[in-house]
Amino acid sequence: MEVDLLAGIREIADLPGHDDRAWHIAWNPTRPILASCSADKTVRMYAYSVSAPEYPDPKFMHTVTIPTGHTKTVRALAWSPSGKTLATASFDSNIGIWEQEEGNDEDGEKGEWECMSLLEGHETECKSVAYSSTGTLLASCSRDKTVWIWEVHPDADFECMGVLMEHSQDVKCVAWHPKEEILASASYDDTIKLYLDDPTDDWFCAATLSGHGSTVWTLAWEPDNGRYFASGSDDQTIRIWRRLPGQGELKFETVAILEGHDRSVYSISWTKAPATNQSEEEGKNSLGWLASTGGDGSILIWEITETTSGGEASPKIEYKIMARLDSAHGVHDVNTVAWCPKAGIEGVFATAGDDGHVKVWRLDPIPA
Amino acid sequence: MTFSGALTLTDLNDFITPSQACIKPVEQTNGIVPERDGGAASTEIRVDSTGSYYEVSASDPKADSGTQRKLQTAEISLNDCLACSGCITSAESVLISMQSHTEVLNFLANNPEDICLSHKVPVISIAPQSLASLAASISSSSKAQPVSLQQVYRRVEAFCTKVLGFQHVYDTTFARHLALLEHTREYKERKRGDGQLPMLASACPGWICYVEKTHAEMLPFISRTKSPQQVMGTLVKEWLGSKWGKTPSQIYHVTVMPCYDKKLEASRQDFYNDVYATRDVDCVITTGELELMMREKDWSLSTPVEGENDDRLPHGFLTDDSRGSGAAKFDGDDLPELITHPGTSSGSYLHSLINAIVHESPSALGLNMRAVRAPDYEEYILSEKATGDIVFRGAKCYGFRNLQNLVRKVGRDAGVQVGRGAAGRAAGVRGRVVRKKADGSAAPETKYDYVEVMACPGGCVNGGGQLRPPTYLRDGTDEEGYKRDWDVSGVKFDDDDSPGKIQPAKWSDREWTKKVEVAYWSDLPTPPPSPKLGAELESGSASLHVGEKTLEAERLAARVLAETCHPEGNAPRLWTDNMDEAAEELRRKHFRTQYHAVESEVVGLAVKW
Repeated sequence: MEVDLLAGIREIADLPGHDDRAWHIAWNPTRPILASCSADKTVRMYAYSVSAPEYPDPKFMHTVTIPTGHTKTVRALAWSPSGKTLATASFDSNIGIWEQEEGNDEDGEKGEWECMSLLEGHETECKSVAYSSTGTLLASCSRDKTVWIWEVHPDADFECMGVLMEHSQDVKCVAWHPKEEILASASYDDTIKLYLDDPTDDWFCAATLSGHGSTVWTLAWEPDNGRYFASGSDDQTIRIWRRLPGQGELKFETVAILEGHDRSVYSISWTKAPATNQSEEEGKNSLGWLASTGGDGSILIWEITETTSGGEASPKIEYKIMARLDSAHGVHDVNTVAWCPKAGIEGVFATAGDDGHVKVWRLDPIPA
Repeated sequence: MTFSGALTLTDLNDFITPSQACIKPVEQTNGIVPERDGGAASTEIRVDSTGSYYEVSASDPKADSGTQRKLQTAEISLNDCLACSGCITSAESVLISMQSHTEVLNFLANNPEDICLSHKVPVISIAPQSLASLAASISSSSKAQPVSLQQVYRRVEAFCTKVLGFQHVYDTTFARHLALLEHTREYKERKRGDGQLPMLASACPGWICYVEKTHAEMLPFISRTKSPQQVMGTLVKEWLGSKWGKTPSQIYHVTVMPCYDKKLEASRQDFYNDVYATRDVDCVITTGELELMMREKDWSLSTPVEGENDDRLPHGFLTDDSRGSGAAKFDGDDLPELITHPGTSSGSYLHSLINAIVHESPSALGLNMRAVRAPDYEEYILSEKATGDIVFRGAKCYGFRNLQNLVRKVGRDAGVQVGRGAAGRAAGVRGRVVRKKADGSAAPETKYDYVEVMACPGGCVNGGGQLRPPTYLRDGTDEEGYKRDWDVSGVKFDDDDSPGKIQPAKWSDREWTKKVEVAYWSDLPTPPPSPKLGAELESGSASLHVGEKTLEAERLAARVLAETCHPEGNAPRLWTDNMDEAAEELRRKHFRTQYHAVESEVVGLAVKW
């Protein structure tokens, strides 16, 4: 397809090492660490740095491989907002909670990663795990159709706050609102469900969103204030949902359907656009960049903008593909894409693929 | 995710385990026919018009009738599925429906006359939570004063005897009384060191099923006392049966329960009598099923029946008359009715224990209660008033979510590796790093002695088999503003049509449970609304005082103990009295049970797709 692309995608690191497909990656929010997990039941961690001014791209170095002890695939990862705790979701139906030992002062090195706690309760494979923005809540979901919400307590202790049995099929993904305690879940039953806490009772399902024609694999909230979120599906589309105004109710509607993938959309990641890249046009508001990937092995970078045309009640959503890369992991599926959250490193994201590799990429603007 | 092109056959354990795998091996009972032609198939399978399968030997295909054998149909019973946690949800829901009100009606219709030897005495026992659900349903559909449990009980009794043909109708509160006595006795044994603490209640079959399937390490903490339903089964088939001159197999015992899992409980192998080939409880129906039967028979539970406000005293037991005639009088079959146990509507296990401890303590004790999280998780602490020393720490823990936290806490306090999950234990996970506090002080003592555990949020009055709230409550219409017949109160409200009303529906469900809870505790009878019926009834009938009823139950309990356990020497005066070893063995046999871990190691290699 002939598209006027605004940027190119350049590989800046290729990180092999997993013995089986790499499922998921997670950037530490406070420290320069990228973690990946795999069907080989391990978690690998890479440190990265941008110390040398002559090399503006970050350099990645493998630091540790955690055997985990999970008896099956480690399917998903999540860092706590403090960056001190890593949660692992495994096909053995458990969630592992990992923290690093205090290092020896003389060596100056950090200690080993230890499993501080094991969250049991799911009956079948865990598919996703996520911390809330404050780090006080952890959500997990599983093929047993349930979503669990845990409250984080000191000393890696957790308390079960809710067991939500709302979906009628395998739950693929859970994602927290960037500011509020709203949880979204995506499922094999083609729906997205939203959950709220009832102060006098348990967590409950506040909304069910339909529209996708097939499995919903992935979710991503608009990172600034969470007025929107996106969902990726087996129907090869990405939907942008907007929250409708209303007190006490939780209502969303589809405002855009992004088509461009030839196969299932397995992962999406939404980041703020750098300030320098934001459009200067009058009445246009940048909502950031959305990265998507999936079964076709392609990576698409979408620019999402919000236009407040005169007179209209609701802003109009515009989107365009600003970059595209095919066969990012050769002939293999790409399972996850995630933007680097570190300030000062714009346009960097990583992917994990069925080839067992983790790759790091950078957006390069194409000269006009 | 799709598999990569380089699909490998290593580590097949990582394949997703199908949740519908059936691991029950079907026993091969057909003899193996010796092969004749090595190259040809030795047999072929044919299906006749009735669906039966036949094995036809290939050695002589022309003579079909002579050589074909009917193959035995492989059957999987409810008990087989209880032994497996694989596809338990769908199998249980199918097999649970086999214990239904249709089964009861079929039995009653086909039961021979009582002069026949094969006649079975039909007995029905009703849980007080079911009566509360029915009472709340009646009260919400009429302008009359709220009806008491006793009124509902008498009306249900009239329906069961006059319409259905049951010969005996009971409520299960006396059986619960025995269960509470034995529960307290077991707790004292554990407190002395015979068994582990905390002792966790065992009356909830949903909780038991969950522990047996996924938390076998919790089994040593579970009380072995039978639930009130199963104690009722023992009373009916063993004790009352002997009074009637009937063997257990000559009695058909039905219970009405607020819970579907009670059907599973009744089907456990532990409650099957091999000698007489019968169960303590033959069939369990839910509150909803009983109400359905009433509707099918055009019986209105709103209509008062004669004598529904009278206390029926168990005459035969007050005077302790000996019956030389040997004939079973009807009075001799009475049990104390609707005994109120202060505490919770799920059975008051924790509160009965607290009362016993306070009663037997040589010094004065004070009770403190703290809500851990809403009313479904509360802690109760008994401490010496003089010194403040804690002598007992208990909790009430309802709902699946709170059970998760309870299991984790009990496991952590006991140093037990909690849970192995359905997918097996996570091997090699290193233990938690113990972080010493700066001041080196130990964490405060928070271990429980006892926990009353129920799987349903709100307890048994919110059981799955209870009546659903009437539709007008969900619509927000006040019960005064809109009238609806009580018999449609079970109509299911379709929430999907109005997503905006999710919150009101959620509210009314919780409010409805509160109504049932209120109905449960209303043990004061009220005069009937109609003046005409009132004139016919006795005036000035006084309620038997709760204390008197409990005292009567205590005496009868001692009598039951003596007559079921046959102690040597003097008959026990109290349930807590010790008897000789053989009698104590019989006590354990009649009033305790056991629990079994369920292994579910479904290996991917063994799965046939």
